[in-house]
Amino acid sequence: MLDNTLDSEATRPVLWNISQSWLLYVMFAASLAIAGYGLYRRVMAWRRGQPAARFDQPWPRLKMLLTHAIGQRRTVRERYAAFFHTFLYTGFIVLFIATMVVMADHRFGLPIMRGAFYLWFQSLIVDIFGALVVAGTAIAFVRRLVHRPRKLVLNDESLRILGLILLMALTGFLLEGWRIAATADPWGVWSPFGYLVARISSLALTAKSMELAHVITWWFHSVLVFGFIAWVPYTKLLHILTAPLNIYTARLAPSGASLKPLDLDRLAETGEPMGVRTAAQLTWKDLLDLDACTECGRCTDVCPANTVGKSLSPRDLILDLRDLVRAPQAGEPAGITSTVTAAAPDSLWQCTTCGACMEACPVFIEQMPKIVDLRRYLVMEESDFPETMQQAVTSLETRGHPFRGTQSTRLDWAEGLPVKTIGEALDAEVLLWVGCGGALIERNQKVVRATAQLLAAAGVNFAILGREEKCTGDPARRIGNEFLFEMLARENVETLNRHAVKTIVTSCPHCFNTLRHEYPQFGGSFEVYHHSEYLAKLVSEGRLASATPLDQTVTFHDPCYLGRHNGVFDAPRQLVQISSRRMVEMERRRENGFCCGGGGGMSFVDEPAGQRVNQERAREALKTGAEVVAVGCPFCMTMLEDGINARRGERDVRVMDVAELLWESVGKKA
Amino acid sequence: MSRVIGIIFSSAGYDRAAQGVTGAGRRLADALGLPLQMVVVGGGGGDLAGSLAAVADAVTVLTVTGVADYQPEQTLAALTDLCRGEGAQAVLLGNDTWSQELAPRLAHRLGGSAAGDGVELVIADGRLRVSRSVYGGKAMATIELLRDPAVVWIRARAFDPATAREVPAPIESLEAAPTGEPATFIIERKSEVTGEARLEDAQVIVSGGRGLGGPEPFTDLQDLAGLLGGQTAASRAACDSGWCPPSWQVGQTGRKVAPGLYLAVAIRGASQHLAGISEAKTIAAINNDPDALIFKHCRFGIVEDYRKVLPLLRERLAAMRKE
Amino acid sequence: MIAADIISKRTVTSTASATAQKQKIKVNIVVCLKQILDPEIPSRDFRVDSEKMEAQRGGASLVTNIFCENALETALQFREKFGGRITALIFAPAGGEDSLRKALAMKADAAVHVINDGAAHPDPLAVARVLAAAVRRLGNIDLVMVGRESGDWGVGQTGGLMAEELGIPSVSFVDRLEKQERGLLLHRQTDQGWENVEAQTPLVVTITNDDQNLPRIPKTRDIMLSSRQPIIRWSLEDLAADDAGIDVAEIRAGGGYYRVVDLAIPTKEIVCEMVAGETLEERVDQLADRIMSVVRSL
Repeated sequence: MLDNTLDSEATRPVLWNISQSWLLYVMFAASLAIAGYGLYRRVMAWRRGQPAARFDQPWPRLKMLLTHAIGQRRTVRERYAAFFHTFLYTGFIVLFIATMVVMADHRFGLPIMRGAFYLWFQSLIVDIFGALVVAGTAIAFVRRLVHRPRKLVLNDESLRILGLILLMALTGFLLEGWRIAATADPWGVWSPFGYLVARISSLALTAKSMELAHVITWWFHSVLVFGFIAWVPYTKLLHILTAPLNIYTARLAPSGASLKPLDLDRLAETGEPMGVRTAAQLTWKDLLDLDACTECGRCTDVCPANTVGKSLSPRDLILDLRDLVRAPQAGEPAGITSTVTAAAPDSLWQCTTCGACMEACPVFIEQMPKIVDLRRYLVMEESDFPETMQQAVTSLETRGHPFRGTQSTRLDWAEGLPVKTIGEALDAEVLLWVGCGGALIERNQKVVRATAQLLAAAGVNFAILGREEKCTGDPARRIGNEFLFEMLARENVETLNRHAVKTIVTSCPHCFNTLRHEYPQFGGSFEVYHHSEYLAKLVSEGRLASATPLDQTVTFHDPCYLGRHNGVFDAPRQLVQISSRRMVEMERRRENGFCCGGGGGMSFVDEPAGQRVNQERAREALKTGAEVVAVGCPFCMTMLEDGINARRGERDVRVMDVAELLWESVGKKA
Repeated sequence: MSRVIGIIFSSAGYDRAAQGVTGAGRRLADALGLPLQMVVVGGGGGDLAGSLAAVADAVTVLTVTGVADYQPEQTLAALTDLCRGEGAQAVLLGNDTWSQELAPRLAHRLGGSAAGDGVELVIADGRLRVSRSVYGGKAMATIELLRDPAVVWIRARAFDPATAREVPAPIESLEAAPTGEPATFIIERKSEVTGEARLEDAQVIVSGGRGLGGPEPFTDLQDLAGLLGGQTAASRAACDSGWCPPSWQVGQTGRKVAPGLYLAVAIRGASQHLAGISEAKTIAAINNDPDALIFKHCRFGIVEDYRKVLPLLRERLAAMRKE
Repeated sequence: MIAADIISKRTVTSTASATAQKQKIKVNIVVCLKQILDPEIPSRDFRVDSEKMEAQRGGASLVTNIFCENALETALQFREKFGGRITALIFAPAGGEDSLRKALAMKADAAVHVINDGAAHPDPLAVARVLAAAVRRLGNIDLVMVGRESGDWGVGQTGGLMAEELGIPSVSFVDRLEKQERGLLLHRQTDQGWENVEAQTPLVVTITNDDQNLPRIPKTRDIMLSSRQPIIRWSLEDLAADDAGIDVAEIRAGGGYYRVVDLAIPTKEIVCEMVAGETLEERVDQLADRIMSVVRSL
């Protein structure tokens, strides 16, 4: 049958039943004006933001746009959204193109709505994608009204939007069907769903009444469509416009580099707030972020704090900020930060800065840096932050390390090892940055010992700073004390430059991240390796070899500041693989790794029982059946050891650093 | 005639602190070849005066008209007069609140020198030297008092009690007249007599860790602590597991304690925990793992399952207490 | 179980004149500070100089003594509630300025630095005389607040000796104070519990710590601005010029009250002695003996 009807004459009359079609253009203009005004208001709001350099490097940005806006790579990571959003997104694009085709043909007289193209694209494909829109909307309805996952906010707006889309699609099919029936369209079957409507309608309606219904529905459909367009900038549909823009202007550097420095001297001088007090301190990109949120809730879904039942919800924070920023007074006089904290005083202090929220966000909103921005205000302007964090900060100020009450010194770990300080070994090619966690927490001293012994075994000429080493400032910066961070950073950079250090190896991912991404801001540019990277390099160069791999099953926990924030996933796994006979993976790993609970100053906070992130992670690690949980971070070590010990019961499960694993497998030979 | 004067406040009775002051006073008096006069401040200490009379050469019960037991300015003035009148060569006090409050001022009024928290007193070249712990217990210092009289408040429990004399000393009462209108006046006092003194102040702490395996053994630890006149605490792991109240937690994120004896039962000794007990004088441990870190910080310990040790230990300690 | 015994309750006289007085008086407070070696220096880094009779500084920081910070915090809270003016005072070498800067950052109104160019650890009477002379020189001080003791030498005499030098009363171990219609109401800790003390100014109080007077963390802005605030600097000669009680030479030499003749780190080699015995019973008996001997020595 298709063959008979497939001829070059195939087409359909445009506006066959419609008079006064000029009205269409009036409505179009009006809807554009309304939408344009809404968009203008948003753009003007963004323009009031502080500067941010996000239009550099056009090529990588275009690539981002192609991959994530057009290609929707992150969006489709989630099974449900892969269907629902793809149906709506592609459906809208196809229907938009179809409308353009009609306009080109009808208004500009380009005879393209003809023949095979008409039948295959304008009829069949458009009809199918229209049906997909209906299917997508149906999925979304079921999801919201039946499944009701915790991460989604069920509000009237989302239901209204879905209802409108569904109504537009359904009226479209009615129009199609009635046209086919009333005009006895010989090619009607090329629009299968429309054809179905035509057949069913023909049973109940006369051609005349279908024509009348068509006129009425046609105008109704037009009102819906133009109403939809006009409505976009006033709802979360705004993301249709803001998401691509937000993706184009996304941060290109690794997320470990996402905190921006402040000009504190200037702020002290002018009296402007340090950190974010009101909307006025947000950058235009922050403001755009808020307008790009689709309320999908993925950030909250992956947030470790939220997962264990704490009040922090990155999505709600973004939405609260959005509403406050849009309010006429923009949170004045209390300021947006105080308003947000008053509503949920603990939330901001539950963030481990693990960055899972940013990794999950399909539109590349930067939630974590905003949390730090708010913390900055609370810490530096209000001195309002948890007491245990205050103690860590005070200790950093007076002792250069955050561990109040430690009885260890920076050199204890090296007792009995021929480790030299940089002053004694001027020719050292590598500086081993020990870190406070490595030097001052007893358990981690073994890790640094193993690392140093491995370096020595491989013949690496290395030295340490010893007593000259200070905390890199990572906890201070994440807690929000930028002032203290700057002091520590300047001091360390001065020390490192004085010793002409070029290459740094460290077993702490937090130090690694700060040395690598944050010290260049203070004039310290070094080649920085995490010890897992450097040791893997030594192994691949044949300078270290595993003699007797451990006969145990090992799983590896990705440290956030090594993995997600810096993309180092393989080096530690290589070490695990050569040091042990069996490796198993946890469910949440690599980019999607789950925090140990110790970042962002949270290792200094006593979490309430039953809401401990480390126990959640330990549960997952134990589920793999592994006998050794390998880590690559001193904070993960203490958090997971605590968590594993609390949950392992009678099972014998050890937490070991990858360097310890390697040293065990190498050292037995030595 | 010059003498050594020991000052005791009547409210506490002849407790260990009072015994220590008397003991230290006796030895100092003997070293100087002077008599020991004990002064009981405040009335109502009938038994106390009697007990002191058994070990001292003279006992004075000092009251100030209109003052029940203590008012800073009134008591200070009365004590100054008494010490001046008796020609005190050295004055010893305990390290209770009132003694510490008065001692420096008394020394100043007498034209002497004071030192506190003494744990050892010696006479060298006719001057009193006081040894005390300084720098948070990291060092010991010996301080020589350059002016007379020497006024010293001592860590009374560090001194052995004095032995009884053959003939009890006479007890005299002295009622001092109040001096004008005092500028300070204690109007209200509360004694918090509770079974749960602050963990930070406990002299003996019996503490349990994750190795206990559950909440039940904490009852045994409480029994043991009760026998030793101490309190019960726990490691973070044990508190985390919900086996005991969070307020029991000792460690970097919990309480920092400084007991004379810290008995760690089934505690491995994570640095987190050790940071809370670095001021403990003696640490002892019961642990079935000879490599447990805690042993590196112990004076003594036993490598054994606590389940086997605790019942025997309780029995033995109970027997020793009866002796 | 709490046993309360109320000693007496003095009735307040003449409320009319007291109210008038209350409005007039602005409590003028001096908080004395001491700078000490960081008490958290690890034992392994702790060394003493047995010539100078003091701890070696090594790489450790100098910090404001915690009880002094408690005193400043108590003063700040008092000022927030009742008004007043707070002057931070220190007798220290040049580096003592850091403690004053921090006090200013915590929002003390003024700072006075009496420069110590003599012995590093003058005895308590020398310190008290200098501080008392500075208080007299400031004039019209109602309340002198000092920490109960310092975290290094733990002397605990500055407050009492200052009271005597100034000829005014003192109350120790105070953790809270309030302004009353007549004078002050002090809450102080005792061995058994607490006492409320009514006191007239001028007065010296020594402050102890409580969960209510943990020193606040200064705001970053205030830290940055504190470096520009003025500090009044007096030399010992400045004080001696109008104060006969100050013997500059004696203070520079460390004073004539007491002297440190020995300072040493006690050698405590910790070797865990595992109780010995053939049977479990024997070993537990040993353990019980050791425990009991420790407990009895307390």
